Amino acid sequence: MARVQLKHVYKRYTGDVVVVKDFDLDIEDREFVVMVGPSGCGKSTTLRMIAGLEEITDGELIIGDRVVNDVHPKDRDIAMVFQNYALYPHMNIYDNMAFGLKLRKIDKQEIDRRVRDAAKILDIVHLLDRKPKALSGGQRQRVALGRAIVREPQVFLMDEPLSNLDAKLRVQMRAEIAKLHQRLQTTIIYVTHDQTEAMTMGDRIVVMKDGIIQQVGTPTEIYNHPNNIFVASFIGSPSMNFIKGDLAEEAGSLFFRAPGLNIKLPEGRLAALREAGVVGKPVTLGIRPEHIHDEPVFLETFPDSKVDANVEVVENLGSESYVYLQAAGQSFVARVAARTAVKPGMNFTLALDIDKIHIFNTETEQTVF
Amino acid sequence: MNTLTAKRARNLTLNVVTWLFVLVNLFPILWMVWTSIHSNEEILGGVRAMTLDHLQWGNYLQLWQTINYFGYFKNSLLICGATTILSTAFAVMAGYALARFKFPGSNLFGMSVVSTQMIPGILFLVPIYLLFWQIDKNIGLPMINTYWGMILIYTAFYTPMSIWIMRSFFVSVPRDLEESALIDGCTRFQAFRKVILPLSVPGIIATAVYVFLTAWDELMFAWVMTTTSDVQTIPVGIRLYVGQYQNRFDLLMAAAAVSTLPVLLTFFLTQKYFIRGMTAGAVKG
Repeated sequence: MARVQLKHVYKRYTGDVVVVKDFDLDIEDREFVVMVGPSGCGKSTTLRMIAGLEEITDGELIIGDRVVNDVHPKDRDIAMVFQNYALYPHMNIYDNMAFGLKLRKIDKQEIDRRVRDAAKILDIVHLLDRKPKALSGGQRQRVALGRAIVREPQVFLMDEPLSNLDAKLRVQMRAEIAKLHQRLQTTIIYVTHDQTEAMTMGDRIVVMKDGIIQQVGTPTEIYNHPNNIFVASFIGSPSMNFIKGDLAEEAGSLFFRAPGLNIKLPEGRLAALREAGVVGKPVTLGIRPEHIHDEPVFLETFPDSKVDANVEVVENLGSESYVYLQAAGQSFVARVAARTAVKPGMNFTLALDIDKIHIFNTETEQTVF
Repeated sequence: MNTLTAKRARNLTLNVVTWLFVLVNLFPILWMVWTSIHSNEEILGGVRAMTLDHLQWGNYLQLWQTINYFGYFKNSLLICGATTILSTAFAVMAGYALARFKFPGSNLFGMSVVSTQMIPGILFLVPIYLLFWQIDKNIGLPMINTYWGMILIYTAFYTPMSIWIMRSFFVSVPRDLEESALIDGCTRFQAFRKVILPLSVPGIIATAVYVFLTAWDELMFAWVMTTTSDVQTIPVGIRLYVGQYQNRFDLLMAAAAVSTLPVLLTFFLTQKYFIRGMTAGAVKG
């Protein structure tokens, strides 16, 4: 168990291609940190730098209390779970799990104890004699986790470990990894492109784009207070709705105006908007699908944010429905109760919960509130 | 014609064409075996004289007595065996380096290795002969008509293609396995030895079979570079049955049939590795 510190870390490849820029993060001991972002954002490269599989071009990496920039992967006291499991095909499961311990010349009885304990935790005792090719995807993933557990490392690194599993198994393994973290109380750094994994598993989430950290925070912080349009759009499913318009002040009140829309903003936000200097300037309004309502009580409560829209597509998920709408040339999606009687082609009146809206500076894409 | 009949007719046609193709390719081998069990007189008498009445199985005994066939066999085994070990060892190391490491000129080196195969081997015959002669003259190290001379030539000739086969094989082994081994506690060499090498056995066998079979059949360099029967290989040895005054086609064919046996045996025992090795990296695994 250890604290991991990345101090102004850079990764440059030849030809001045910078894939990780000024990555600065302090991961606490026993923390579960999830790095999330689209393909090519530098999250896997960062993880590989922590593992020692990629050289750090600039900056400092500290695991525990020693700088490990030039330390060989085997001496960093880390374990890694790979996306494609990376089990050794010529060894049986027992040998796969014992491999790292044998290399460290650990006593045979101790190896046996650790392998069997880990196998029991992961419910793979009956698979120990099999070869990886005789295992299903989920079983292989458990073995990969087991191989990491037996090492009892200071830090676990996981590189999209659930991407190759089917949807049902992914949900199951997600919970198992979270349980494992509670049980082992070890620092885990987890990389994924799946925002649901990030939201459900991490103590803290690091959102990345183009090699730069966009925001670091707890799942709730990131969901409710995104730093910019990218974070707001990346976290949450379906994604946040964005409507481009501008802010106009009228008789001491502020209005968000877009073609077909004139929404009065809450009084309590005036100060923040004035301070940000965005009054009279183009801004982007963001609202999550669950904050768009069709219930009569909402339509009465928020008469200033009513929108008449045309329904394009309805996705019924059983417990709820996603309604894809078109209003005043803008497309957006609303999450409504499954019992709502709505069909493609019909007109639908909705109200935006103005207490939950976000305003972004359209030019800088940064959050105003 | 309904679909099922059309399918059957197509399968039948494909089978006939395949069998014709197999027969055309097998004919020289069948002819060699058929000729090898007849007397020289019958062979010279033409196809009609070669009947089933007087099969000469004794040719297979006589071939060992007429010339020092065992000696040629031993020389072939020694030279081809050593070449196989050396070429494969070099190919494994160079192939791994080319598959895994980017270094200045790595692409150029890789392409140069393949492009050597575009130059006909015969172009090297005279220069190598002169080089060997100069080495003997200036250093006093005999190269012509020696085992090591032949082993050196064959190793130099068959290593480039072997490197390419091994490189293709290593490329198809996921990099994650090595990285996982590094994190598990291996040094880079340990990761290669304990993880990559055991997984590359099919590729190594394919390479070794390729080198052995190609060296076993080689005649041109063996004919020019060796002059005495204590170094000469089978392809050179069996030519002795064709003389200035008498051609012993019966013994020649029996000797050729015997020399084909190790080749056939090696291929049949290792064909699954051979095909896998040759096609490594061709498709996504």
